Amino acid sequence: MSAHGHHPGSADDRLGKVYDAEMFRRLWAYVRPHRTLVFVSFVIIFVLGAAQLVQPYLIRIAIDDHIGTRNSDGLGILALWFGLALLGEFLLRWLQIYVLERTGQNVVYDLRTDAFAHLQRLPSSFFDRNPVGRLMTRVTSDVEAIHEVFTSGLVMILADLVKVIGIVVILLAMDWRLALVTFAVIPPIIFVTLQFRGRMRSAYRTVRGAIARLNAFLQENVTGMRIVQMFGRENESAEAFAEINAEHREAQLKAVVYESSFTSLAELVAAVALAVLLWAGGYGILAGMVTFGTLVAFIEYSAKFFRPVQELSQRYTVMQAAMAAAERIFGLLDTEVSIKSSDGAIPVPEKLAGDIRFENVTFGYDDERPVLKDVSFHIRPGERIGVVGWTGSGKTTLIRLLVRLYDVQQGRILLDGVDIRKYRLRDLRRSIGIVLQDPFLFAGSVGGNISLGDPTIGPDRVKAAARAVQVDRFIETLPAGYDERIRERGSNLSVGEKQLLTFARAVAFDPGILVLDEATASVDPRTEQKIQLALATLLSDRTSILIAHRLATVRDADRILVLHQGELREQGTHEELLVLENGIYRTLYALQATA
Amino acid sequence: MGGFVLLLATNALVLSVPWLLREAIDGLEAGEPIGTTIRYSIAIVVVALLQAVVRTFSRLAILGNSRKICYDIRERFFRHLLSLGATFYDSHRVGDIMSRGVNDIRQIQGFFGPGVMNVANTTIIYTAAAVLLFRIDATLTLFALGIYPILFLTVNRLNRRIYSTSVAVQEQLATISSRVQENISGIQQVKTYAQEDREIEMFSAECNIYRERNLAMAATRGTMISLIGVVAGAGSLVVLFLGGRAVIDGRISLGDFIAFNAYLGLLVWPTIALGWILNTFQRGLGAADRLLEILRVEPDVVDGEDRLPTDGPLRGDLEIRGLTFRHASDDTSRPPSLRDIDLKIPKGSRIAIVGPVGSGKSTLVNILARVYPVPRDRVFVDGVDLNDIPLERWRRSVGYVPQEAFLFSRTIQENVIFGRPDAEAEEIGRAIRISNLEGDLAAFPEGIETPVGERGFTLSGGQRQRATLARAVLTDPDVLILDDSLSSLDADTERSVLEQLGHWRSERTTILITHRLTSLANMDRILVLDEGRIVEDGSHEQLVAADGLYRQLFDRQRLQQRLEQG
Repeated sequence: MSAHGHHPGSADDRLGKVYDAEMFRRLWAYVRPHRTLVFVSFVIIFVLGAAQLVQPYLIRIAIDDHIGTRNSDGLGILALWFGLALLGEFLLRWLQIYVLERTGQNVVYDLRTDAFAHLQRLPSSFFDRNPVGRLMTRVTSDVEAIHEVFTSGLVMILADLVKVIGIVVILLAMDWRLALVTFAVIPPIIFVTLQFRGRMRSAYRTVRGAIARLNAFLQENVTGMRIVQMFGRENESAEAFAEINAEHREAQLKAVVYESSFTSLAELVAAVALAVLLWAGGYGILAGMVTFGTLVAFIEYSAKFFRPVQELSQRYTVMQAAMAAAERIFGLLDTEVSIKSSDGAIPVPEKLAGDIRFENVTFGYDDERPVLKDVSFHIRPGERIGVVGWTGSGKTTLIRLLVRLYDVQQGRILLDGVDIRKYRLRDLRRSIGIVLQDPFLFAGSVGGNISLGDPTIGPDRVKAAARAVQVDRFIETLPAGYDERIRERGSNLSVGEKQLLTFARAVAFDPGILVLDEATASVDPRTEQKIQLALATLLSDRTSILIAHRLATVRDADRILVLHQGELREQGTHEELLVLENGIYRTLYALQATA
Repeated sequence: MGGFVLLLATNALVLSVPWLLREAIDGLEAGEPIGTTIRYSIAIVVVALLQAVVRTFSRLAILGNSRKICYDIRERFFRHLLSLGATFYDSHRVGDIMSRGVNDIRQIQGFFGPGVMNVANTTIIYTAAAVLLFRIDATLTLFALGIYPILFLTVNRLNRRIYSTSVAVQEQLATISSRVQENISGIQQVKTYAQEDREIEMFSAECNIYRERNLAMAATRGTMISLIGVVAGAGSLVVLFLGGRAVIDGRISLGDFIAFNAYLGLLVWPTIALGWILNTFQRGLGAADRLLEILRVEPDVVDGEDRLPTDGPLRGDLEIRGLTFRHASDDTSRPPSLRDIDLKIPKGSRIAIVGPVGSGKSTLVNILARVYPVPRDRVFVDGVDLNDIPLERWRRSVGYVPQEAFLFSRTIQENVIFGRPDAEAEEIGRAIRISNLEGDLAAFPEGIETPVGERGFTLSGGQRQRATLARAVLTDPDVLILDDSLSSLDADTERSVLEQLGHWRSERTTILITHRLTSLANMDRILVLDEGRIVEDGSHEQLVAADGLYRQLFDRQRLQQRLEQG
C-alpha cells in the first residue's frame, strides 16, 4: 500500500536460521505473559482437528449402515451429528484465528512498545549513526514479521501435524491395507512439492528482486527526471526501463509457469490418488473386505491430507523471515544506553540557585574534530548571559552538553557545584527550561504542549502561562481552544504562534535556568512585538542563557560569551567587547549593521 | 482467446472426473468384474493427465497475458513520464507518481489476471455443473444449491468489510510509522524536554489502536476463512440427508450420490471467487482511472517547427526580449517570477547572476534551458525563436548543473558519462580535473568505479556538486548553466573550479548563479536580479562602484569572509 519498502532488497531481506535457541528463549519471554492464550490455542488445535476429521467418518457410517443397506432409521440423527461437527468446525476455526491473532498482536504490541521505549533512552550519538529509515523498519516491518510466527508460523505447523497424524491413524484403523496404498501417494506429493516449492520460491525471489529494481529505477528517474531530460537521455532511460521491465515480465512469466504447473500437478497427484484408491478399493469391495463407506471416507480423507503437506515449506519461509527480524529487533534492544542516571544519582534541588560552571570542556561529535575545545566559564546565579558566534562555532553544542544529550569527552560541567552526571537525568533536563530556535511542538493538544503532561501544572497554570506571553487570545480563537489537536508537529500553526506556545511552556515550568536559542525565522511585526514582550517576562529573575543570532538581543546581557571555532575567544559586556580592536564581536556587529 | 478455449476444455475435463467415479461405483455395486473398475481408474488418470496439461496452458495464457498487459502499461506510463516537463513535476509528488506506477498497475494486473480468469472459470463451471447436477436429481440440486446464493452474497459482503478494515489497519500502520519518524527526527527535543515517557505513552496508544483494528479485521477474516472451510461440508450435509433418502427410496444410485457430493465440492471455490472478483474489478477500474489521469496530461515542452537555417552547430548567441513569466502553478494574484526581462548574451560570455532568494534567478536559467514552456517571440538563439529549435538539439547544446546535486545510484564514472556514454578516458579525466574531483577519487574505495547513492558510498555535498559539474562539463556544451551548484564548495575550491572553467571555456558561454560574490571578479558581466527584474548589470568593478544592491551584498560577504578566516 505504501510507497516505501521498494528499495532494492537491502541487508534486511536476508533470511536467517529457523531455529535459534537463544532467539526462542527471548521471544518466549514475550509470549509468557500470554501463555493462557497459547494454551487455549493448543487445545483448539485438537478439538478442531477432531471436528474436521469426524466428518468423513460420519459419511462412512451413513453409507455403510443406512444408504448402502437402504435403511433410513437414524440417518437424521447422523445428519444432525454431521451438522454439529460442521458448526463446531466453523466456530472453532474462527476462535483459532482470533486467539492466534490476539496472541500475536499482544506479543507484537509489547515488542513494539519496548523497542520504541528503548529508542527513547538511546543517546543522541546513536541517532547520528543510524538513519531514520532503518530504525523505522525495526519498529514496523520487523515487528510485523514476528507477528507472522503466530498467525501462520509455529502454531499452524503444529496444527498441520496434528491433522496429518490424525488422518494417518484413522486410515490405518479403518483398513490398514488400503491405508498403505493411500500413503504410497505421499512420496510423489512431497517430491513434487519440494521440486516446485524450491523453484517457485526462487522464482518469486527473482520477481521481488525485479520489482525492487523496477521501482528503484522508476523512483530514481522520476526524482532525477530533469537531469534525464536536460541531458537528452530520454531514449536511453526508456530503453533501460524497458529492459528491467522485460526482466520483470520474464520473471513473472516464469513464476506463472511454475505456479500453473504446480497447481496442475498437485491436482494430478490427487486424481491419481483417487484412481489408485478406486482400483484398490474396488478389489476390496468385490472381495467383500472393504465397504463403500470406507472407500468414500478414504477418498475424502486423502483430499484433506495433501494441503498441510504442501504448506509446510511455506511455513518454513515465514519462520526464517521472522527469526531474522527477531535478531534485528533484539539487536536494537541490546544496544547499550550510554547516557543515563548513574547509580545513586541525586535529585536536582527543588530550589535551584542556577550556578553553572564549564571546566575545560572538550567535545566532538566524532573523535577527530573537536567542536568545543577546552572551554571554561562560570555563570553566576541570576546572571543573564548571551552567547554569540558564527554558524558552526559550537553554540548549540554547549546547550546539548548542558542537558546531557551528549556527555563531555574531557572536563566537566557543574550545576550548583555538582557534576551534572551525578544528577538524575530526568531531573536535570526538567530543571533547565529550553526554548529552541525551531519551535518544537509535540503531538497532542495545545494545552498539553504547555503543560507537557506534568500533573503539577493544572489548567489554570496553563492559562496563566498563556496569558503571560499573550498567546491566550489566539488559543481561545481555536475551535477547540486549549484542547485543539496539534497536527504533524504543528503544521496548523504559524511559526510565531508556535514560538509563543513554547514560551508559554517555559513560563508554566518556571525553571531555575532558562536557555533560549533565538529564533531566526521571520515573523510579522505584531508577533515580533509580542515575542519581545514575552521574552522580557521569561528572562526576569532567573539564570538565563541566550544563544543569539541577532546581536540586538544580547546587548542588554550581563555578559556576552563569544565562541569561535570551538573556543571561547572573548567575553564581556556589549560595550567592553565593542572596543576590542579586531575583535570577533566587533566584526559581527559591523556585519549586522550593514544587513 | 486461446486461453478461454483451454479454460473451457479444462472445465470439461474437471467435470468428467466425478462422472467417471459415479460410473465406477455403480459398476461396483452392480457387482461387475474388477476390470470395469480398473478401466474407470485408468480413465480418471488419463483425464487428470490431460487436465493437468490443459490447465497449465490455460493459466499460462491468461495469467501470462495479464503480465504482458501490465508490461505494456508500465512501458507507456514511463515513456509518458519522460515526455512531461517541469510543470508536471512541480505539481506532483514523487510518492504520488510512484504509487500509481506501482500499486495501481498491480491492481490492474489483478483485474486482467486472476480477475478475468475467475470470471470465465466460474461461469463455465457453474453452468456445466448445474446441468449435470440437474440430470442426477432436480430436487436435490435445488436444495443443495440453495445455500450458494447466500454464500456468494455473504462472501461479497465479508470481502468488502475485510477490504475496508484492512485499509484502516494500513492507515494505522502508516500513523505508527509517521509517529516513529516524527519521534526519531525530533529525538533531541524529546530528550531535552524529558518527554520520553509521554512519547512512549502516546505511541503505545497508537499501537493499541493498531492492535484493536487488527483484531477487528481478524474477526471478519476469521468468519470468511471458517465459512469457506465448512461450505463444502454444508453441501455434504444436504446430500447426506436428502440424497441419502433418495438413494434409499431408489430415486438415485449410490454412484449418483457420490458424484453429486463431488460436484458440489467443485463449486465451492468458484462461488467464493465470485464474491472476490467484484471487488477486484472495482479496484482495477479505480486504478485505471488514476493511471489515465496522468496519461492524459499533455506534455507542455514540445518541438515546434524546425526553423534553424543549417544543421551545423549552433553559434549560441542568446537574446531575451520583453519576457514576463509566471509559473503555471502559481496563482495569478502573486507577482510574476520574471518581469520585463531584456537581455543579450553573446557567444562566449561569462555571466554571473546574483540576487536575493526568490528573485527569479533559477527561473531565468530554467527558461533558457527550456525546462518550462517558453512564450513565443521572447527568447531567441542565433536569432531563431527557441520554440523553433528542435528540443533535442537545444538540450545537446546546453549543459545544466542543477541546484540539487542529483546523482544516480551507479558508479561515479557512470554518472559522469551520463550525457556522453562514448566519452574517451582522456576527456573524462579532463572533466574530472576541471571539476576538482581528482583528489577525492583517489580517496574513494574503488576510485572512479565507486558506486554512489542509496546503496553505495556516501559523498559529501561538495563532492556531489563537483560530480554533477563533471557530468555537464563532459558534454562540452555551447552554453553551460550552473544553477547555484557550487554552494557546498568552500571558497577556495570554488575559485579554483571557476578559474579552470574559465580557461577551458573561453570560446563558449557560461552562466553562473551564485550567492558567493567574492569569487566573481573574473566574470565578464554580472546581473543582479531583484523581484523578477534585472536591477543591475555590469562588471564587478562597475557594480561595486555603483554602490547599489550588489555593493551591499558584496561588503557583507567580505566581512563574513574575514571573520571566517579569523
